[in-house]
Amino acid sequence: MKSRYADENLSWIAPLVLLVIAIPFLIRGVTFSYKYYLYVLNIAGIYTILAVGLDILSGYTGLISLGHAGFLAIGAYTSAVLVDQAGVPFGLSLIITPIITGLFGLVVGFPALRISGMYLGLTTMGFGFIARRLIIALRAWTEGSAGLEVSNPVLFGFEFANDWTNYFLIFTFVVAVIVVARRVMNSKIGRAFMAIRDSERAAEAAGVNLTRYKLLAFFMSAVLAGLAGVLFAHTMRFISTDHFDILLSIYFIIMILVGGAGSIYGAVLGSVFIVLLDFLLIPAFKDWMALFVAIEVADIQSLIFGLIMFLFIIFQPMGLYGVWLKIRIYWKLFPFNPRKRFT
Amino acid sequence: MTETFGGLTQEVVSGIALGCIYALIALGFTLIYKATEVVNFAQGELMMVGAYVNFFFVSALLEVPLLNGAWAFIIALVGAVAFAVLFGAFLDLIINRPLKDEPVFSVIMATISLAIILRAVMAVIAGPMTRIPPSPFGSSVITFGGVAVSTLDMFIILSAVVLVVVFYLFFNRTKWGIAMKATAEDPMAAHLVGIPVKKVYRNVWIFSMVVATIGGVLLAPRTLLDTHMGFLGLKAFPAAVLGGFGSIPGAIVGGVIMGVIETVSMGTLSFHFPWVKEINDVIVWIVLIAVLMIRPTGILGQEEVDRV
Repeated sequence: MKSRYADENLSWIAPLVLLVIAIPFLIRGVTFSYKYYLYVLNIAGIYTILAVGLDILSGYTGLISLGHAGFLAIGAYTSAVLVDQAGVPFGLSLIITPIITGLFGLVVGFPALRISGMYLGLTTMGFGFIARRLIIALRAWTEGSAGLEVSNPVLFGFEFANDWTNYFLIFTFVVAVIVVARRVMNSKIGRAFMAIRDSERAAEAAGVNLTRYKLLAFFMSAVLAGLAGVLFAHTMRFISTDHFDILLSIYFIIMILVGGAGSIYGAVLGSVFIVLLDFLLIPAFKDWMALFVAIEVADIQSLIFGLIMFLFIIFQPMGLYGVWLKIRIYWKLFPFNPRKRFT
Repeated sequence: MTETFGGLTQEVVSGIALGCIYALIALGFTLIYKATEVVNFAQGELMMVGAYVNFFFVSALLEVPLLNGAWAFIIALVGAVAFAVLFGAFLDLIINRPLKDEPVFSVIMATISLAIILRAVMAVIAGPMTRIPPSPFGSSVITFGGVAVSTLDMFIILSAVVLVVVFYLFFNRTKWGIAMKATAEDPMAAHLVGIPVKKVYRNVWIFSMVVATIGGVLLAPRTLLDTHMGFLGLKAFPAAVLGGFGSIPGAIVGGVIMGVIETVSMGTLSFHFPWVKEINDVIVWIVLIAVLMIRPTGILGQEEVDRV
């Protein structure tokens, strides 16, 4: 009998892991300012973890979340307070904090049992605002809106003190999250999620427990956001509530839409693409733009992101991963015209 | 005791004015939602665009000699509304038509990206500084038995009520309004019975943009004019949901309730209970979530029944 994952091609995973390990060495070989690039890659890695979580919720299960920055903020602040003020070791916080964030996910997921679509978008957006406000209100621990300095991550006596070591810490989790998320999405759970996305009634008729699976989707998504939050707090070493605003939540959605909602690789592609665009291309572009119009960096950034998302939604709803799928099918069927199979 | 009571009345009155602004914004997306079932997250930004266009007209016209103040404001308003008509038709072309029949998620994100783009473009055109638009009514204040209302607030309340009544009658009494409702129900069937669906869509975007412009023109002297004005649009969503999304009287009912809750919590409640201060700027969202948990269709909304 064929095992469950037999039809999936796994031979590329080993080269990919090697590539992930090799990238920092390559960058260090090529340029002297490698630290900045590693910093950018670290952010991309953290956002990838969160985007995979958001993709599970929005892409696979079809539940919109416009408040994921709230989960990220809760994860980051919980871990900062636990490690620096309660003296919990970082390794333990890596386990406790995602679970706490996951519980917040259950709380937010509870309204989702009754409402959907736009109303759910509004509820989660409200959650984002409320979470931020809550963090400011608990200023005894979080120092309010002034921001909070966080210690370095220490794991098994080893301190991750710079971007070089952080890279390996973060990308260990990135690879683990991608592998686990793909496995879970190919299992019964993932199929239940997709069934809910495609038709709630049909899913329920087929025996999917809506309550359980919707809450599970919120829980998984929030756990991943919490994990991203822990890594964010301890590797950026400074967190402030200003960072976790509604625009950040919208950027996460842009990531999964540009990558291709409803596929884990899509979320990965999208978040890496958007972060690289944000940190590498836009600063370069800014000087060129400044020749023509007086414009601020934040405005260029939002203009470009807005345009990218808009164009992707209209012309390429499947995202970058969809482009890749088309190219792959084109090559497989090469002499035949595959366009007839895509409409 | 009378002192607190007077303060409370004052707060309720300015809350009603604030609520009428929410109602004007909420009316804008209720119109679009009623006819096209598209939820327009960019309504606040449309309002900002309208306010800016009006501001440019006013500042240009006040420079012209031989033109006294009142005429300048009237001509500027006409100019801004004319711009709104063109811009509304343009939005229909780029947002509504390509995204017809796409999933809700894509449409929401498309309007959000429209909001982001409009804000950035406006920042490029108008520059980053905050403008102080002149108010057509100066700073005159009317006093009723100890409660002061600025003339501008009176106008805001008046125009919100008038617009809500006009659109309510329009949707329930006129041929075009009923055609719009039919289009929302089932565009294909509407097309078959001879309703010009494309025109319906275009007109409804134009109406919505015009309402947004009027809201922006009235609001700009009250707050100040900068590119973040559109964030107020987000607060109008809870108001619309509270009243019942897609219901025109619901827009004003929800708006006024939200406005009063907000100002009272900012004033009297914060004064008596210090912890309320912490939740002031999210209180509308807390109310929203509570409403959605108890009665998802809002106060005046109708339960939607759809067949499998």
